[in-house]
Amino acid sequence: MSVFLLPDVGEGLVEAEIVSWKVAVGDVVTLNQPLVEIETAKAIVELPSPYAGTVTTLHGAVGDVIEVGHPLVDFDGGDAGESAPPLETPAAPPAAEPAESAESTKSSAAERTPVLVGYGVSPDRARRRRHHTPAPAAAPAPAPAPAAPAAGARGPLVPRTTPPVRLYARQHGVDLETLTGSGRDGIITRADVEQALRAPVPAPAPAPTRATPLGPTRFAGHEIAGWDEGPREERIAVRGVARAMAEAMTASAFSAPHAAAWVRVDATKTMELVAALRERPAFAPLRISPLLIVALALCDGARHFPGINSSFDAASGEVIVRRQVNLGIAVASSRGLLVPNVKGADRMSPAELAAALTGTIDRARTATSTPDEMLHTTLTITNVGPFHVDGAVPILPPGTGAIVAVGQIARRPWVVGDAVVPRETVDLSMAFDHRQIDGALASAFLAHVGQFLEDPAPAMIAP
Amino acid sequence: MGGEELIQLLTPEGERCQHDDYESTLTRDEILGFYRDMVIVRRLCNEATSLQRQGQLALWAPLQGQEAAQIGAGRALAPQDFAFPSYREHGVAWTRGVPPADMARIFRATVTGGWDPRRYRYSLPTVVLGDQTLHAVGYAMGIQRDGADEAVMVFFGDGASSQGDVMESFVWAASFQAPVVFVLQNNQWAISEPTSLQTRIPLYHRADGFGFPGVRVDGNDVLAMYEVTRRALDRARAGEGPTLIEAFTYRMGAHTTSDDPTRYRVEADVEVWRHRDPVERVKALLARSHRVRTARFAEIAEEADALALALREDVLAMDAPPATEMFDDVYAEPHPWVEEGRRTLSAFLTEVAP
Amino acid sequence: MTTMTMAKALNEGLRRALESDRHVLMLGEDIGKLGGVFRVTDGLQKDFGEDRVIDAPLAESAIVGTSVGLAMRGYRTVVEIQFDGFVYPAFDQIVSQAAKLHKRSAGAYTMGLVIRLPFQGGIGAVEHHSESPEAYFVHTAGLRVVACSTPNDAYWMIQQAVAHDDPVIFCEPKCRYWDRGEVDLDHPPAGLFDAVVRRPGRDVTVVAYGSMVKVALQAAEAAAEEGRDLEVIDLRGLSPMDLDTVAASVERTGRLLVIQEAPPIASVGSEVVAAIQERCFYSLRAPATRVSAFYVPYPASKIEDEFRPSVDRVLWTLDQLMEHDS
Repeated sequence: MSVFLLPDVGEGLVEAEIVSWKVAVGDVVTLNQPLVEIETAKAIVELPSPYAGTVTTLHGAVGDVIEVGHPLVDFDGGDAGESAPPLETPAAPPAAEPAESAESTKSSAAERTPVLVGYGVSPDRARRRRHHTPAPAAAPAPAPAPAAPAAGARGPLVPRTTPPVRLYARQHGVDLETLTGSGRDGIITRADVEQALRAPVPAPAPAPTRATPLGPTRFAGHEIAGWDEGPREERIAVRGVARAMAEAMTASAFSAPHAAAWVRVDATKTMELVAALRERPAFAPLRISPLLIVALALCDGARHFPGINSSFDAASGEVIVRRQVNLGIAVASSRGLLVPNVKGADRMSPAELAAALTGTIDRARTATSTPDEMLHTTLTITNVGPFHVDGAVPILPPGTGAIVAVGQIARRPWVVGDAVVPRETVDLSMAFDHRQIDGALASAFLAHVGQFLEDPAPAMIAP
Repeated sequence: MGGEELIQLLTPEGERCQHDDYESTLTRDEILGFYRDMVIVRRLCNEATSLQRQGQLALWAPLQGQEAAQIGAGRALAPQDFAFPSYREHGVAWTRGVPPADMARIFRATVTGGWDPRRYRYSLPTVVLGDQTLHAVGYAMGIQRDGADEAVMVFFGDGASSQGDVMESFVWAASFQAPVVFVLQNNQWAISEPTSLQTRIPLYHRADGFGFPGVRVDGNDVLAMYEVTRRALDRARAGEGPTLIEAFTYRMGAHTTSDDPTRYRVEADVEVWRHRDPVERVKALLARSHRVRTARFAEIAEEADALALALREDVLAMDAPPATEMFDDVYAEPHPWVEEGRRTLSAFLTEVAP
Repeated sequence: MTTMTMAKALNEGLRRALESDRHVLMLGEDIGKLGGVFRVTDGLQKDFGEDRVIDAPLAESAIVGTSVGLAMRGYRTVVEIQFDGFVYPAFDQIVSQAAKLHKRSAGAYTMGLVIRLPFQGGIGAVEHHSESPEAYFVHTAGLRVVACSTPNDAYWMIQQAVAHDDPVIFCEPKCRYWDRGEVDLDHPPAGLFDAVVRRPGRDVTVVAYGSMVKVALQAAEAAAEEGRDLEVIDLRGLSPMDLDTVAASVERTGRLLVIQEAPPIASVGSEVVAAIQERCFYSLRAPATRVSAFYVPYPASKIEDEFRPSVDRVLWTLDQLMEHDS
């Protein structure tokens, strides 16, 4: 049996009304013999028979409306040589379809939207989507996120960073959503990822990769090529923050005679205090770290030994003693070393100082410190502990009397009574301007700071 | 019909008539051959229209009524000449030897061309109206530079005559005296717009303004069409420049199978032209003056039916090409963006294929 | 090696093309006795005759349309469109015919024609004489588009374009016609569509074509004084584009800056940026960025210096680009 489906004759036809039948059931018709007159939205059209054979069924009576692609006439004995489904007709048996995969997606004429000059508009193809299956990746899958990030109504924001850092983080299994960006506009930098990789509680170790070990390649304010990639010798222009650092350090090193002192202290109680403060609701929004206690200790030391908070004015032959601590914090920013300060740190409560330090450090990391923050430092902390060193001999910021380097706080053997016990210890090393500060003053100040850290709670309460 | 200057050598009734400048020198067999051509192209055209009504072609542009204009002009072409069609010139294509199935390919929408134009010395259908007139003039300029004994014929319609490219082609053909014959089939209708919207003067008069001869021929008279176009081609080959020939005829059918002419013209007008049928008048001439027997006409009709059936079989057998055919022949030399597309589609088909 | 202007280099290149093949023709307005409004065809009609160097009636669609017909007969016509702004009457013949006929004829027609297009501004011209229409043609499959920027390239690329079997839109930066440069008469510098590194550098990949190559090189000189090392790539091929060369550079620098005289929207620069973003995503330290003209009609030429990218605007954009970092 052959079936003639009402074709889309491209006339704006989605359906047609049967106007008159030109044949009856039982008639033997020839190819192209008129079968039926139909009225479309546009015109009355006579349809010629695509088959030669006997009419067995007429689908519909005069006045009925037939949809395009639906059966119109059935034939018996349709000559195969003279009949074929339209190129676009769905009723074709699958076997008649060409073998090519592209062909098997041919859509139904019945479903096409008619147009003026063609078969009509294709309906959307049936979905047969298979997901793209990439070849096994060389890089390991990223480590699972340890904690769900804050999510807005439409889900968490994509961590903002550049593609090379994204790749670096993925290669090393660092989840960017767990990081806070220190770059411009809060962008996560390569340094942030590197810091996360050094964190004491690292993400699950990534599987070994082919990647060459990627160390810090920032130098003199530039991203420089790795050992194997770069030229044998390279000259880099020193500009911006890097140049400012060079000039300040040179000016300081060759004008102020530097001397140094250091002390090792048991900071176990300091660490306990930090932990306790972190539990207190009032401190909850603040970033509480041992640095806060060190800052409080320096302010307390300056209060007891004002000569430390001083500077030497060679031009006038005077020493300037300041009774306000503008506490400088050395910060490795995306653009290089910056030393902003917290004005009047000595007059702040622990909570106020914690807040002020957090703001100052964050602005410096994103290189958005205010000009005022960069001026009139009197006393400075440089926190080298995060870089996994125990101490350093820093150079004074110009115009200041002392700078204290705080080493890494770690459990080390410590003699208590006659026993060697593990304690959280830290080394404090201090450089000072020997023009106005002598060894005695420096030692007394540093010892005071050390004692403050050995037992900070009473010291914070004491006048 | 057509005015006093209409060149006619055969009346609608099939009587020969005299013209001061033109005379038919055709033999009985040649005329019978033209008759056969016209019967066959009409039959092929009917088959194609049926195939479209049966959903086998996306579109068809019927030529009914214009058989004499196309066969007369097409048969006047010498083998070495080159012709440029618009999109309704199935009759000219037939005279150039283009297989009927190849004519149908573009309407089956399995290709965008259909045949090798250099093989048949017959270019591809041009749907952007009038563009081909400039190609014809350029090709003719090439003939001039080759010093070849060839001419070019280009077909367009009354609608296309309003196109700027057609005007430009007239300017260029005149300025360079290019060996080109413009055959303007004025079938009175540009889809629904009558010729009166395209022109306020007879279209062949336009040639005067450009500086070359223009004539109006009874486009339904195959004898006149042949003689006038043959002389124009001779003129072109002789280096005497272009000619505009307005074949005054009528589009008996719809513009295409997607058109409904009952919306813009009345049946009575069509009926007038039915009496001027280009095929019937030749049949009358052959039967009356050349004593061609009824059996011979029947043979020709059978031959036409067979060709129509063959066209049907060829059309039904025409499959869509592999999808990646779209990347073939876009450029003469490989282009990376095309090849990138080929790789992407191939990968997609491979991954999504069952 | 010899020194000549770009206009003269084109003239010499066309002369060699005409000498090499009798099927090479030239067609355009005022290209005969006058030698073209830019004198690019100076003397060619005198030496090769009116049948080969053809003064055309003033009809751009016909100039291209007849060249298509000539190509069908095996001729290779070098068309001169007098000014960029006059190419639009020929748009249909270019995109509907020249671009498609090779495909439609299944390869039987070879569309060997070159459409020379004096383009871009910077010459203080009046309306319709300063435009950058290249993206329209880059967008059309079937066409090829190139832009020269030096006399040496002009000399060689025009010959390569004439010898090519596809239709080539040949963009000539008219503000550089009178710039002098060395021309190597013996060895072509590169393939017709190859990008060329004009200046190696480490920090930023700067892509330009046509008139903007010189601007890019000047900007690179200025940036070097500020310690920034720019690599300048002359794209040359606009369709196809030599994106391999651009991508190899960006993989080293991590930064891409495209300079173009055209408005930025859906432009050649858009394509470079999109393609490099796809290819070099993990190498990009900063957003791939365009320095373009503005999305307005070409302005009165008294203010064209602010419309066209200048060295200062390139450096200004470069500063913004360098602020992104990691």
